[in-house]
Amino acid sequence: MRTTARRIALAGCAAGLLLPIGAAGASAADGDTNANLRPVVLNGVEASGTAMASVRGTTLTVTMAADGLLADVPHAAHIHFGAEARNECPAASDDTDGNGTLITSEGVPAYGGIVVSLTKTGDTSPASGLAVDRFDTAPGGKIAYQRGSIEIAPEVADAIVAGKSVVVIHGVDHDGDGTYGGEAKSDLDPSLPAEATDPALCGVLASAPSGSVAAGAGGTATTQAQPGLVALGTGLLAAGVGAVALTARRARARA
Amino acid sequence: MSTPSRPGRLGGGRWPLVAVGAVLATAGAGVLGASLSGAAPSAPPRTSVATSAEPQPGAAGEAALPSAVPSSDASALPADGPAAVPVPAAPAVDLGPVLPAAAPVALRIPSIGVDAGELVPLALDAQGVLPAPERYDLPGWYTGGPHPGGLGPSVIAGHVDGPDGPAVFYRLGELEPGAVVEVPRDDGTVATFVVDAVERYAKADFPTSRVYGNTTDRAELRLITCGGAFDRTTGHYVDNIVVFAHLV
Repeated sequence: MRTTARRIALAGCAAGLLLPIGAAGASAADGDTNANLRPVVLNGVEASGTAMASVRGTTLTVTMAADGLLADVPHAAHIHFGAEARNECPAASDDTDGNGTLITSEGVPAYGGIVVSLTKTGDTSPASGLAVDRFDTAPGGKIAYQRGSIEIAPEVADAIVAGKSVVVIHGVDHDGDGTYGGEAKSDLDPSLPAEATDPALCGVLASAPSGSVAAGAGGTATTQAQPGLVALGTGLLAAGVGAVALTARRARARA
Repeated sequence: MSTPSRPGRLGGGRWPLVAVGAVLATAGAGVLGASLSGAAPSAPPRTSVATSAEPQPGAAGEAALPSAVPSSDASALPADGPAAVPVPAAPAVDLGPVLPAAAPVALRIPSIGVDAGELVPLALDAQGVLPAPERYDLPGWYTGGPHPGGLGPSVIAGHVDGPDGPAVFYRLGELEPGAVVEVPRDDGTVATFVVDAVERYAKADFPTSRVYGNTTDRAELRLITCGGAFDRTTGHYVDNIVVFAHLV
C-alpha cells in the first residue's frame, strides 16, 4: 500500500502542474515578460542585462538594467517584433554581407522591425528609433531604465505577451577606441557611424512562469493514505472535467 | 477572493482541483490589477506583505514613472554625430544594486541549515509552468528568469520533502525577515540577499504576478517550496511557501 501511495504521490505532482492553464488564459491581454540580454554575436560586446516588460491591456511598462556597455554615449534601445521574423536574437549566419559584424538590418529576419522605441522622454513610437538624443547614455557603461504608460497597439501587446518580441540595445565599439566612430556608416542613417546603431545586446521577452510549483512528495506528511480513496481520486484526476460531474453527483448523493 | 476548502477528505479535495481554473480565471485579473497598482493581493498570505509594510532600500517602486507624453522633438534626429549631441538630463532611475549576468553554482541559507553545492537548471514546461527539480536534495534555478543578482525576480525552487523524508527546502517556512541567503555564482562573486517576507498561498490562489511578475524594480530572489497539508488523494501539498528577498 505504501508503494502505491508513493507512486500516486509522484504522479500527483504532474497532475497538479496542469492546473494553472486556466490562469494563463484568463488575462490574454495582460502579461509579464522578461528578457536576459546577451551580447549580439560577432559584435564584440562584453555586456549583460535584464529587461522586464509588463503589459496591461495596451499599456506597457519597461524596466531594464544593463552593464558593460560603451560608456557615456547614446544607446538606442527598442522592442522589436515582426510577424515574419523568427522572433529570436540574430545568429552569426545572419551576417549576410559577410563583413564579420552584424548590422541592425541584418538582424531583422531574426527580431523584426522596431515596434517600441525605449526613449527616456517623449515619443516612443518607431519614428523615434534613431532619436539618439533621447536614449540612455549608459554612464559608466550601465543603463538603469524604467518607463511606464507606454501606449502600444493591440497587436504589439499580443506579440509581447506571447513571448515573440525582442529587446535590442544598440551601440558598439568595434575598434575599441572608446567612442562611436570609424569609417563604416550606419545602415539606418548614413550620418551616423555604424558603431552607433549596430546591435550590442539582445534578448527575447519570454513569459514569466504561471501558477504554482509542485515541490513535495509527502514523505514527511503526517496524514495517512486511504488506499481505496486514493485510487478513486487518481481516476477522477485522470478524468479531468468528468470529475466535476462525479463530485456533484456524490454531493447530491450525500445530501 | 475565496479560498477553496482544504482537502481533508476525498469529497472535499476534488473541488479545488477541478475548480482551480475557474478560481484563477476570476482571481487572476484581480491579482494582476492589485499588483500593478502596488497594492497587496488579496490572496491569503501567512505573513504581511513586505513590499507594502517595509521600506525597500534601493527600490524605485514609489517613484513616478516618466509619462509617455509626446514632445515636440518626437521625430528629432541628430544633425551631427551622436558624440556631439547634448543629452538632456533625465531623472535618474534607481534600480538598486544589480550584478552582471552569472549562473548560480550554490545556495547557502545558514539560518535554516541549507548548504547546497549545486543548482539544477529549470525550464518551463509546455504549459508555461515551472517544474520542481527532479532531485530532492538540490534546489533548481529557473534559467528563463533573471540570474540571481540580476534585475527582477530570480527564482529558485526546491522540494520540501521526498517520498521518504525531508528535502532541501524542508525548513524554508522557518525563515524570518532579515535572514541572509547567499548565492555563489560562476563569476566568483556571491549574490547576498536579505529576506523581506515569507508567505504561503493555496496553490489554487497562487499569485503568479506577485511571485514571478515584474512587480519589483530591483534585484530580488524568490525561494519556492510546498507547504500546508499534504493531500494524498492528489499526491501534492495544497500550498506553496514563497520567500521574498532582495539583493544587498
